[in-house]
Amino acid sequence: MKYLKPIIVIIIFILIFIFLNKLLSPKYMTDLVEGNMTYEYYNEEKNHEVIFIGDCEVYANFSPMVLYEEEGITSYIRGNSQQLIWQSYYMLKETLKYETPRVVVFNVNSMRYSQPVSEAYNRLAIDKMKWSKEKIDIIKASMTEEENFFSYVIPLLRYHSRFDKLTNEDFEYLFKTKNSMYNGFLINKNVKPVESLPTKRRLSSYKFEENCYDYLNKITKLCKENNIELVLIKAPSVYPYWYDEYQEQIQKYAKENNLDYYNFKEKVEEIGIDYNIDTYDGGLHLNLNGATKLSKYFSKILKEKYRLTDYREDEQISKIYNEKLERYNEAIK
Amino acid sequence: MLINILLLILSIGIYASFGISNLIYILFSVVTTYVAARMIDGKRADTRPASTTENKNSRNSGKWILILTITINAGILIAIKILLFGQAKYNLLSTANIIAPIGISYYTLQVISYIVDVYKGKIEAEKNFFKYLLYVMYFPYLFIGPITRYEYMKEELFKKKKIKVQNIYNGTIRILWGLTKKFVIAGRVGILIGTIASDVSFYKGAYALLAMLLYSVQLYADFSGGIDIVIGGSKMLGINLKENFDSPYLSQSIKEFWRRWHIALSSWLKDYIYIPLGGNRCSKIRNKINVIITFVISGFWHGMNYLLWGLIHGLLVVYGKILKTKWKIVNIIITFLLVSILWSFFIWPDTLTSIQMIGSIFTNFNYAEMFSNFLNLGLNLANIIVLIISVIALIIFDIKKEKIITKIKNYKLEGKLAIIGTLALIVLIFGIYGIGFNVSEFIYSKF
Repeated sequence: MKYLKPIIVIIIFILIFIFLNKLLSPKYMTDLVEGNMTYEYYNEEKNHEVIFIGDCEVYANFSPMVLYEEEGITSYIRGNSQQLIWQSYYMLKETLKYETPRVVVFNVNSMRYSQPVSEAYNRLAIDKMKWSKEKIDIIKASMTEEENFFSYVIPLLRYHSRFDKLTNEDFEYLFKTKNSMYNGFLINKNVKPVESLPTKRRLSSYKFEENCYDYLNKITKLCKENNIELVLIKAPSVYPYWYDEYQEQIQKYAKENNLDYYNFKEKVEEIGIDYNIDTYDGGLHLNLNGATKLSKYFSKILKEKYRLTDYREDEQISKIYNEKLERYNEAIK
Repeated sequence: MLINILLLILSIGIYASFGISNLIYILFSVVTTYVAARMIDGKRADTRPASTTENKNSRNSGKWILILTITINAGILIAIKILLFGQAKYNLLSTANIIAPIGISYYTLQVISYIVDVYKGKIEAEKNFFKYLLYVMYFPYLFIGPITRYEYMKEELFKKKKIKVQNIYNGTIRILWGLTKKFVIAGRVGILIGTIASDVSFYKGAYALLAMLLYSVQLYADFSGGIDIVIGGSKMLGINLKENFDSPYLSQSIKEFWRRWHIALSSWLKDYIYIPLGGNRCSKIRNKINVIITFVISGFWHGMNYLLWGLIHGLLVVYGKILKTKWKIVNIIITFLLVSILWSFFIWPDTLTSIQMIGSIFTNFNYAEMFSNFLNLGLNLANIIVLIISVIALIIFDIKKEKIITKIKNYKLEGKLAIIGTLALIVLIFGIYGIGFNVSEFIYSKF
């Protein structure tokens, strides 16, 4: 056994390397929990009739627990902070490997971004995604100029400098994880009223870029191929400004592709949203109160228009959701 | 043979990737010196049986070929150094941006040494153009040296190479040690120096001295780290390159320092500048002048900004004896301090600022402030600790180099693998690299 000792040394270093990769990668458990959103989906029972995709305007504004409580709808939000449209596409593609929902709800806010925005947001969305062709594609499509692919493959290349920032969280959650979301919904109970309305800044162009349309077409095609109803929505966020020109383009696209489009900004009064109490950051996102109102309103539309199953009557699923509701109700107290 | 073909293709490819115009410059130098060397050698061969007068005429015409070739090649290097200085200092030629062909400072010295050695009859002109091309363009040393001589390299490059497992392990260890110096030490020190050099009105006095001392560490770790990578990489291919450093900061005088720092350049300057000027076979005064001229040229090789730096080093080599004490450690400290203070010409962008910074050490006594502000210079305590530990490791290595190298060479395979694994993890975790940091370029590749 001439090579036994060298082989043992190699194995030891590989194990140390794997351990350090895990230790130095952010855990996203107590701080920046948005980084764990993608991962939480993998722990779920894959039985959702509605899947939301999009940016913070979905995970902050819609509560799947309310959808279930109100109409028995099973849903999950595969959202991320600043989820760009190509990320939405690949997240949906990945989701379809696990389950085929009846409805996919896509928030169109990301149509305004045609370029990768920031490495930090990319990391929050992609870091904890399971390795698959979709992950490779999402990385390639999302990388900013300063990034490189290998740092996604070997997180140590990106997070090595965290050696001096390790906290108890890094050790506590080294081999385990916990859910911070509620079927992808991130609760925020704070209140910060809208103090001023955004002004319409002149833009050099109001036209959505071709690559955004390309990905929207891909999402549409993917849904059609899988017999999924694609529903376009615009969350009722006051900021950032949603231009009339944007609205017209989405309306036109929806009409041409025979899709439903709901701009909840136009339904604020009907929903009952009060921007003095229903937002936690001056109008960018709804708080728990606002999200509950919007979810109740949307649950009716979903139920009536898309004839979804009332899973409250399903023994097996209602058992799972009742447990979820218990946890949710505890959290929103 | 196959390895050399691959090396040549790789070298040309890598070099061309920095810009095709770079390739034109280097090929011009290669072709002119190759042709000139063949002509000089040819004339020598033609006239061997001929009369003394013919021999003399031939030698004369050979001399003119030599002078012309050196003038053209050195002229390009000199012109580029002057234009770069003019561009930076006076914004000359603002419409035509001058970018020095990468590695020109290194390969120009190599081709000059080659043509001179052929002329002197020390070596025969290489007949195979591609062999000569590989000697000049061998990519591991093309960007930061070490500057090599053809006499030595033809043996190393064109001997029958055999890939040996031991060479792979030893080469890998050397490369990783170089990467440790570059990314763990130089990268970290670079952050501190970057902060200090960014604001000359605030960071002076004690900060300036700190920057000078730190720059000694940074430059050594960066440059010798790069050379470790070059030597280690070559070692893996079975090519042994000469050492370029010999624990230079353990020198007891500036004269000794230059025997141990950037040895390839010092030895080139000695053989192709100092000795042709007369060396020490002349009057004492003339010898001193020769030394000073050699050092001024060394300064010029680094760039027009460093003429004064070269001059002072020359003076310290000539008159350094007066600073020597009978205590070894004191001599080492004095030499280190002098070298560090003179590196200031490399830290700040112009000579005047550098002089002002040196002066501020003696006029701004903000040492207490500097110590209290130390953790606000870009590195937190954890990183400072990593830096201190790694510098101590570097010092220990420099002091016990021979012992350590012999010990590692005698290690069994598992021992070598453990060193490789440990160094790789150190570089990966404690290296300064990634988003927000650009330390991939070596300081000495810009000269």
